Amino acid sequence: MWKRTLILLLLMLFQAPAWGEGLAPQVLRVAVAEVVESNPSAELFRRPALRNLDEVMASGYINIGLYEDFPPYSYIDDTGGPRGIDVEIGRAIADGLGLEFRPFWIKPGSSLGRDLGNNVSRGHYLRPTQVADVMLRVPYDKNFSYLRDSTGEYINKSVVMFGPYQREEWGIAYDAGQLDGEATLGSFRHQRIGAEYDTLPATYLTAVMGGQLRDNVRHYRNVGDAFAAMARGEVAGVMAIRGELEHYLAHHPAHDFRLAEPLLPGISRQQWDIGMAVRHNHRQLGYAVEAIVDRAVRDGSLDDIFQAHALEYRMPDFYAEVLGPAE
Amino acid sequence: MTQSTPLGNLARPLALTAIALAVSAQAQAVSFEDMLNDHLATDQVVTNGMGLHGQRFSPLTTLNTDNVHQLRPVWAFSFGGEKQRGQESQPLVKDGVMYVTGSYSRMWAVDAYTGEQIWQYEARLPDGIMPCCDVINRGAAIYGDKVYFGTLDARLVALDRETGRVQWIKRVADYEAGHAITAAPIIIDGKLITGVAGGEFGVVGTVFAFDAETGDELWTRPVVEGHMGYVFENGEAVENGITGGEAGLSWPGDMWQQGGGAPWLGGFYDADTHSLLIGTGNPAPWNSHLRPGDNLYTSSRLAIDPDDGTIKWHFQATPNDGWDYDGVNEVISFDYEENGSLVKAAATADRNGFFYVLDRENGEFIRGFPFADKITWADGLDENGRPIFNPAGRPGNPADSEGERGESVGAYPAFLGAKNWNPMAYSQDTGLFYIPSNEWMMDIWNEPVSYRKGAAFLGAGFTIRPTNDDYIGVLRAVDPRTGEEVWRHENRAPLWGGVMATAGNLVFTGTPEGYLKAFDATTGEELWGFNTGSGVVATPITWEMDGEQYVSVASGWGGAVPLWGGEVAEVIKDFNQGGMLWTFKLPSEYAQQ
Repeated sequence: MWKRTLILLLLMLFQAPAWGEGLAPQVLRVAVAEVVESNPSAELFRRPALRNLDEVMASGYINIGLYEDFPPYSYIDDTGGPRGIDVEIGRAIADGLGLEFRPFWIKPGSSLGRDLGNNVSRGHYLRPTQVADVMLRVPYDKNFSYLRDSTGEYINKSVVMFGPYQREEWGIAYDAGQLDGEATLGSFRHQRIGAEYDTLPATYLTAVMGGQLRDNVRHYRNVGDAFAAMARGEVAGVMAIRGELEHYLAHHPAHDFRLAEPLLPGISRQQWDIGMAVRHNHRQLGYAVEAIVDRAVRDGSLDDIFQAHALEYRMPDFYAEVLGPAE
Repeated sequence: MTQSTPLGNLARPLALTAIALAVSAQAQAVSFEDMLNDHLATDQVVTNGMGLHGQRFSPLTTLNTDNVHQLRPVWAFSFGGEKQRGQESQPLVKDGVMYVTGSYSRMWAVDAYTGEQIWQYEARLPDGIMPCCDVINRGAAIYGDKVYFGTLDARLVALDRETGRVQWIKRVADYEAGHAITAAPIIIDGKLITGVAGGEFGVVGTVFAFDAETGDELWTRPVVEGHMGYVFENGEAVENGITGGEAGLSWPGDMWQQGGGAPWLGGFYDADTHSLLIGTGNPAPWNSHLRPGDNLYTSSRLAIDPDDGTIKWHFQATPNDGWDYDGVNEVISFDYEENGSLVKAAATADRNGFFYVLDRENGEFIRGFPFADKITWADGLDENGRPIFNPAGRPGNPADSEGERGESVGAYPAFLGAKNWNPMAYSQDTGLFYIPSNEWMMDIWNEPVSYRKGAAFLGAGFTIRPTNDDYIGVLRAVDPRTGEEVWRHENRAPLWGGVMATAGNLVFTGTPEGYLKAFDATTGEELWGFNTGSGVVATPITWEMDGEQYVSVASGWGGAVPLWGGEVAEVIKDFNQGGMLWTFKLPSEYAQQ
């Protein structure tokens, strides 16, 4: 009986001209899944495919949440393959669990809280069935993890943030061909400086020193564009996170671009740690992932990954306390 | 168990029905003349706004205060599938066929007598769309033998009216940069004109015009100072003047290059001055301390020459906008008499809480007054309509925060506005504007612990709160000559649907609680209501067929409020989604002469 129902369904879907083309394949998939496999379908119920450790292991793959288009951490290279430090960490996690690595690309939203909701705990309202099993490059900050709203509720209670693996910081790169001596903030009273739109450097540079630098700030879509502008002589410096600065320094060997060690007075947060996140009830998956990444930090293989990408590895505070200061 | 038998029996009747219905509709080409007369015609609705000026006033008197209690549903049409969410569309009606758009960039042609589907079109949306404020669509345009609408991946689609077949699809902007089209496009003398919604920081709001027949681009007009507009001649872009004359007059540094100002709600047309009247969105970035200056032409109203995109005049409601008070709300042309002379005016009710009456020939400020009960960001308007800022009402600069959560600033109204996208109506009989408004405020504070794309960030935290315990929504009848609020009707949930007025002394609007309601236009007395089963956040229409007056409205709770409404969630959290088109009529036996 079920077979006849299925065939009827199939035939109607292929033939009925008034039905939307976009609708049919989806309904068909659901119908087939329901009748043939008798599996409850996340697609049908429009619920996220939330997978605990056992389900991830049984599936043979793991979805690693990575920011898209974000060199040197995660991006698609010229050959069309995933590349970057977080991609390598994701591969190491998958290898460590004996699973296939599947990148889950994340378009950054207006805040980390939204990214976590849209990609880890709940799913975006347009794509509620698509979430990452674990997300990388999530700042590890107890103040953020335990942020409360006005009613006293924890705002980020639906995710667990764990496993710090890198220390990140703000920095400035400058063109020694344009500036005499090492760049300081004051250098950019007279020279232009580039920053990515809608980042802390964009806010900081337009406000610091009573707004004296404001008219010299040039905004770019990303740090790569800012470096290209520096190569053209459009700006004499770029303010960004250290990882991006080191990456793009290595990509402009023909220029005398250098890292400055500037004082950044009044900056709200000069350094922070980077870790990972899973859904709050997938802690077991988090422990398994944490164990792999922790080993990579301790045995130096994470350091190797950073070096292979022309970056200096900086250990999070957490390890500095456990392992003592790095040599 | 053969495969061919069930196929033949089931599929063929379905196919035949669809074809038969399509053929039976005797569609007449819709001309620009038809649109110019839409506000006078009673047997059609061929424009968003029930008239190109957007007054949403029907001259029909068949249905009136005496008989509206006999108004009853005659059919309902389901948008179907699993796709529900917000339905904000205004239907169109021509030659007994209704054209309505729905959530997820879908469109239907429906028999206006019976509610039977004639065709359905569903845009194939890519995975990466990121609309800010739900997957809504606000309606279609109709011209010649085609219907048009915009999609969530920022395309314009032209469909054959009779068959729903695609005639052309034009990419207007890059959806991957966060662009979408949700507003109904407008057609002015064969030109299909649209704005674009959203866009990440780094985007400049632009108005686009296309040839409605071919889809060829005709002109573009950026709305931010310093950017070149173009007209296209034989496929070649020809420079047509820099918006605002030159760059950097009202923006610091290079910030005009990003600007913002998305004209996401589209515009209306004033035939007297041959102008597209369109509003522009808020400037970018959100933090107003980074961009001292007026930041022209964001949060403004523009009169644009529909022939080539030249800006004729501008009026800026919120200079240096720091509250996300988009200036996109509709500008409605209307005439009134004062001291024996006729004033050619245009009115707009801004998100910032002020109602403005402008001279639509030159954009000059005639008068303005608050229509919201409480406004804290400005103490009033000066003689030119410019706000008198209250410095204590401006959110602080996150860059000034000292690692602690900054002091919270309470701003009235909230960023969702004293009135949002949902259009008001103007009654030529009462001379009143009927404004669907909301009483809510926002708390804004600097958020020292925030991150974005793996990096520390300086953000502002914000949340919306109702101003009063017992209501948020207020339907207001306001006299544009005096600013007097003639009557008000309070509603517990925020009003998010459009308003329609009729010569039957009626005003219609919907509520998130699910009702379509009718009020006495003179007194505000609630005369009729019908629960559609899901929130009404769309705009009703009315027309006449075979001597009977019909009313239609889409039903389906959603839009920006559930996504951005903060503590308003307490009021709305139990509302169910939907996706239905409801049509009512007054049966002829109840119509009184």
